[in-house]
Amino acid sequence: MLNEERIILMTKMASYEENEGKKNMAIGRFFRGDYVTIQVLKSVICATIAYVVCFALFIFYDFETFMQDIYKMDLLAFAKNVLLYYVITVVVYAVLTYIIYLYRYAKAKKSLKCYYNNLKKLSSLYNE
Amino acid sequence: MTGLLELREKIKSIYSKNEVFILPVIKFLLAFWVLNVINGKLGYMTRLDNMAVVLIVALFCSFMPTGFITLFATLFSLLHMYAMSLEAALVGLVVYMLLFLLFVRLAPKDSLVVVLTPILCSYGIPYVMPIAMGLIGTPASAVSVGCGVVVYYLLQTVLVNAPTISTMGEEEITAKLRLLIDGMLDNKAMIVMIAAFAITVIVVYLIRRMSVDYSWSIAIIAGVMTNLVVLLVGDLIYDTNMSVVSAILGAVLAIVVGKIIEFFRFCVDYSRTEKVQFEDDEYYYYVKAVPKMTVAAPTKTVKKINAQRSTAAATRSPQSSARVSGQNTVDNRQSATNRRSVTTERTAPARSGVNRSQTAYNQHRDYMNNGKSITINSNNAVVDDSDDYEELF
Repeated sequence: MLNEERIILMTKMASYEENEGKKNMAIGRFFRGDYVTIQVLKSVICATIAYVVCFALFIFYDFETFMQDIYKMDLLAFAKNVLLYYVITVVVYAVLTYIIYLYRYAKAKKSLKCYYNNLKKLSSLYNE
Repeated sequence: MTGLLELREKIKSIYSKNEVFILPVIKFLLAFWVLNVINGKLGYMTRLDNMAVVLIVALFCSFMPTGFITLFATLFSLLHMYAMSLEAALVGLVVYMLLFLLFVRLAPKDSLVVVLTPILCSYGIPYVMPIAMGLIGTPASAVSVGCGVVVYYLLQTVLVNAPTISTMGEEEITAKLRLLIDGMLDNKAMIVMIAAFAITVIVVYLIRRMSVDYSWSIAIIAGVMTNLVVLLVGDLIYDTNMSVVSAILGAVLAIVVGKIIEFFRFCVDYSRTEKVQFEDDEYYYYVKAVPKMTVAAPTKTVKKINAQRSTAAATRSPQSSARVSGQNTVDNRQSATNRRSVTTERTAPARSGVNRSQTAYNQHRDYMNNGKSITINSNNAVVDDSDDYEELF
C-alpha cells in the first residue's frame, strides 16, 4: 500500500538532495572553523593574485617614468608602501570573506538540520 | 485577473511538464542573443563574427551550466579586443580577472547578471536589472550588477578609443594602456551608475522583505525612485550627461518588468489577510498570514463511456439516469445504438482566492470541491461522481 505522506516527504528530500542540498552537504562535512579558514585562505590567495595584477598594470601604466626614477627613489620606502597597501587589501578582503562564509555556514547548517529532521521523520514513518 | 492567474498556472504547468526541453532552448536563445550582441558591438575578429561559430557555441551552451554563457561571452569579448589591439585585450583580461577573483567568485550564481547588465546597458534599459535583482536576489546581487556595469564601461571605453588606438604606432604600448586605463578610471558615469544600482538593489530587497501590505509594489516604486534620484544627483555633481528621458522610460519599463516578476513570484490577496495572536510557554506570537492568489488551470478531459456502461444506462429508468457532471453535449442516441461516444468536459478552476461566477447548466449545477466535480441534480440531491471518474479511466 502506498503511503502518500511518505512519498511526499521523500520527493521533497530527493529534490533538496539534488539541488540546494548538494552544496550544503559539502559545507556540512567541515567544522565551522575549518570551513571558514579554507575559504579565507582561498580569498587571501585570490586577493594576492589580484594585487599582483594591479601592481603590474600600475608599473606598465607609467613604465618609462618608473624606469627613469628607479635609481633616484627610495626603494625601501616604496617597497614598504607597496607592502602596506597589500596588507590592507588582503585584510579587508579576508574580513569580508570571513563574515560572508560564517553566515553561509550557519545557513547551510540550519538547512541541513531541517533535512536531518525530515530523515528522522521518514524513519519513524517506516517504523509505524 | 482570473484569466491572468489561469494563464500563469498554464505557463507553470507547461514549463514543469517540458522543463527538460524548455531550459536548453532558453539557454540556447540567451547564448545566441548575448554572442550576437557582442559580435555586433565589437566585431573586430572576423573569424568570430560568423553565424556558424555563434550557433555552435550557443548549442554547446544550451547543454552546459549557465556559467558557460558567461565564460563564452568573456572569451568572445577578449578575442575581439585582442583583434583590435593587444593592449585592449590586456586591460580587458585584467579587469575580468579582478572582477572574478574579488567579486564574482563570492556569488557565482549571479554570474549571468554580469553578462545581462552590459547587454541591457547597450540597449539603454539597464534600470530593469537592479529592480529585478532586488526582487529575486539578495543584497549580494548589488555586487554582480555593479560588476556588469564595469564590464559595460570597459567595452564602451574600448569602443570609444578604438579609432585612436588604431592610429597609434606599435611602439606606443604604454600610451595605449594609459588611454584605456584613464578612460576607465576617470569615468564618473560608471561610478554614479554602480552606486545608483547598488543602492537600488538594497532598497528594493529591504522593502520587499517588510511585512507591510503591497510590499513588493512599494519596493518596485521606491527602487525606481531611488535609482532616478541617485542618478540625477550624480549627474548634478559629476556632470555625467545622463539622458533624463531615457532614464524615465527605463524606469517605466523597470516598473513593468517588476510587476511581471511580482505576478509570477509573489501574487497574494491582501484583502483576505488574517492576523492571529497566540502564545506558548516561552513566546507571544503575532502572526500575519496572507493567502496566495491561485486558481487551478482549466483542463479538458476526454471521457470515454464504454459500451457495457451504455447498455446498463439504457436499461435504467429515465429518472435514475443522471447526466454526468459538466458534459457540454450528451449524445442521446448513444444509449439506443450502444455505440461508443466521446464527449469533452471543461473543468472549472477551483475556487481559491478569486471569486468565480457559478455556471448553471439548466437545473444541473456543478460545484468544485478540492478538484472533484459534484453534481447537484434537479431534486437537490448531491451526487459525488468522483468515483465515476475512477471507473471510467
